[in-house]
Amino acid sequence: MKKSLILLIALLFGFGLVFSSCVTTDTPVKPNNSNFVAPKIELAGFEVPQYDGYWYIAKTVKPTKGEAGDRGAFLPMTFTFKITNPNVYPINLEEIKYSVVFDKSFMVMTTSDQMSNWIPAGMADEVKVTTLVTVRSALACLLVPGSVEMKKRGWENWSTLEKWWKGIPEGTVPVTLAECGFTFTAGDVTMVYPYRVDVQ
Amino acid sequence: MKKSMFARLGVLFLSVVLLAAFGTVAAAKDIRVGGIMDTTGATSDVGKDYAIGMADAFKYINSQGGVNGKKIKYTWFDYGYRIPEAITKYKMLKRIGAVAIMGWGTGDTEALSPTVNKDKIPYVSASYSAHLTNPAKTPYNLFFSSDYSTNARCCLTAWFDKKWPNHPDFGKRKPRMACCYQFSSPYCSAPINAIKNQAKLLGFEIGPDQDVNLMALDTKSQIMALKAFKPDVVWHGNTVMSVAATIRDAYALGLGAAWIIDNWGFDENLPRLAGEAAEGAMGATPCAFFGQNVKNMDLVVTSAEKYSPGVPLGKRTIHTVQAWGDALVLWEALKRADAAGVDITKKGSGPAIMKKGFETMRNFDIGLGAAPISYTATDHRPATGCRVQEWKGGKFEVVEDVNLKKRWPDLWEKSEKEGGFFGY
Repeated sequence: MKKSLILLIALLFGFGLVFSSCVTTDTPVKPNNSNFVAPKIELAGFEVPQYDGYWYIAKTVKPTKGEAGDRGAFLPMTFTFKITNPNVYPINLEEIKYSVVFDKSFMVMTTSDQMSNWIPAGMADEVKVTTLVTVRSALACLLVPGSVEMKKRGWENWSTLEKWWKGIPEGTVPVTLAECGFTFTAGDVTMVYPYRVDVQ
Repeated sequence: MKKSMFARLGVLFLSVVLLAAFGTVAAAKDIRVGGIMDTTGATSDVGKDYAIGMADAFKYINSQGGVNGKKIKYTWFDYGYRIPEAITKYKMLKRIGAVAIMGWGTGDTEALSPTVNKDKIPYVSASYSAHLTNPAKTPYNLFFSSDYSTNARCCLTAWFDKKWPNHPDFGKRKPRMACCYQFSSPYCSAPINAIKNQAKLLGFEIGPDQDVNLMALDTKSQIMALKAFKPDVVWHGNTVMSVAATIRDAYALGLGAAWIIDNWGFDENLPRLAGEAAEGAMGATPCAFFGQNVKNMDLVVTSAEKYSPGVPLGKRTIHTVQAWGDALVLWEALKRADAAGVDITKKGSGPAIMKKGFETMRNFDIGLGAAPISYTATDHRPATGCRVQEWKGGKFEVVEDVNLKKRWPDLWEKSEKEGGFFGY
């Protein structure tokens, strides 16, 4: 009888655990469009995590190894954001969509980073996103969407690229994060907030 | 008896635990959809807006419950209009279990087509090459728009119907037509045979093709070459930046020809870039321009505001609407396939999505000013014609809705080899 009682208590405890885990995933305040407060987004840092100089090799040049092609130096860029959640419930940072602009006018890339980054209620978190452009991809931007602005400024493509590749790691060329969209979710609520910042 | 009761309770307990565990897994299962976009390459002048529009559309779809309650997880990459990178990205999307992929350019879509056929993954592209419309060759390639060949035929026909009769030489000689496009680009060259055959059908004299790079800023030599031929109308098959450069040069050098332009060269940015040289330019418009008053445009505009608040609405173009066109046909196909019992979250569900989804559509109306869409197991041309519009007096105006199937029913059904319109 005693053994049975212990077993019964153990089973009830087990049920309790299973159901309590379901219950505790709910937050006391249910997120909705009207109680969702915009998180605070700040740029906490910018770095070029690996620098490989400025170079470009046209496809007419035979490489030592591998295949020839129009290839240029990579310029990786890491942006660190501090996100503060002022809400009384946790929020999930799901996506950061952003464009990188050099010299105030030349949008050299647009991309999106997807993630699942939960930020507890009232807390802050830091999120890093890394992207890169190459001399080749930046050249394509100058030749197509940037061509009108280049003509207006009277700038030349290759000297502009060299200035960027040397100046950005040293902090002498303006870099801007533009047309950003930070997507947050909580429960069934999805909110996207714009962001723009002069990085340097 | 007591033992039996405890055993039953134990089984019940284990069942609850298992149900809770697997129930969570089942609820968390998303539909993986991939995207291969150009936001930095040679067609980024139009590709960026398309990429952003596509992401907006999937966010909207999920806000409406996704596909019968199942959420779409849309993962996209920029491939910079480089075919090797598109192939790498495709393989990655396949590895993560994408059941459908939203693609971009003609070069990469055509290059990937044999792989897509082998993998049986529906591939909804922004390339509207007619080479992708014959399911006997490309059974998994789709798009919502009239194909480039249809666009080109419709543009030339609209000019012939509406503009040529007003020309002083009408009735005195044949009209003259020439083409400007990047010869090496699969996108630009895709409809060239078609427009030349249409020109022959309508009785045009055809001039020498001019090679205009997608990144061209100066096209004076090509315009000078055209001046010798004196074309009445010139087809331009590039994207908007080089189209604008060509039109500006032609205007400055007094070429005097009218322009008919494929859809990726004819957008809200053309008059901004070409100024008064764009007056009278005509183009293929497979859907309405951004913000025009048509069914479902309110969804496009409000989603642009809500999901891409960092991008000014004034910068959004028809390419956002085009992205929605492709997203909406995929959504409909997935809904139909899911309702028919297909597990659309499962890798390898492509053939069933085609059969129970896409290929059940008959005159499906997505709104957005697009033609009703049909796909069959033997014909993936979604539309039988195209609306041709003109930039006139500061706004876009409809010139003609050309329906090739109605006008040339026999030719519509015949293949290229038979002298018809199908498959190129």
